[in-house]
Amino acid sequence: MTEDLTTIEVDQFYPHPPGKVWRALTEPELIAQWLMPGDFRLQVGHRYTMQSRPVAASGFSGLVEAEVLAFETEKLLRLGWRDAAGGDADWTITWTLQPEGHGTRLFLLHEGFDPDDPLQRQAHTIMNGGWRTGVPKALAKLLDRV
Amino acid sequence: MPPRPSVVAESIEDRVFAALSSPVRREVLRLLRDGGPQPAGVLAAHFAMARPSFSEHLRVLRDAGLVSERKEGRQRLYRLEPVPLAEVQEWLTPYERFWRERMAALGDVLDRMEDA
Repeated sequence: MTEDLTTIEVDQFYPHPPGKVWRALTEPELIAQWLMPGDFRLQVGHRYTMQSRPVAASGFSGLVEAEVLAFETEKLLRLGWRDAAGGDADWTITWTLQPEGHGTRLFLLHEGFDPDDPLQRQAHTIMNGGWRTGVPKALAKLLDRV
Repeated sequence: MPPRPSVVAESIEDRVFAALSSPVRREVLRLLRDGGPQPAGVLAAHFAMARPSFSEHLRVLRDAGLVSERKEGRQRLYRLEPVPLAEVQEWLTPYERFWRERMAALGDVLDRMEDA
């Protein structure tokens, strides 16, 4: 777990060239196969919706209202994600592609988590109200150092 | 992401979270993390409570798999077991798990695609 509770960073290497990874990130029929179906178009300002699985623990409905915020072909794709069903989610998803040998390292940066809210709600679910507010943060810090 | 359905996993998680709900038990984990394996008596000395009460805390930590106990001479040596904590961490980061799953699925899509 990173120190910063407002972002998630994940990266993965694929033995495929950036051009191919880029297609999988930007062609709707390919996006549907690994993420979720939606009317994506590679155009800044384009808005579309996608249905994902809900995350009950944090109140995310799973219905995503997305917007293309920025892109640089085969290098970067930045999307805005909002909870279309009235949840609090207001995230920025940034994909960065970096050539590595004959393949590509793909970085995901998921920003915009409220450091208190979702964790607290999760904590309430976990602990059936038995814990006080400070515990999840303390736990996260403990986990960081173990 | 649906919650993990396994009844077994649920009961282990329940035990881990219950064990972590006590400040005394969290402090014991900190002491073990910072000081390495220690005898129960040394751990107990940090707390102003009767020894049987402290032994009960150690039992809860043992049952949750958060610590293990080993006999060494006349002493019982306690050590931190990191695996349940790692599972808790995973529980606390459902979005990270979501993305790891999605990115694995992306790898499958790429493997199936024609090189163009």
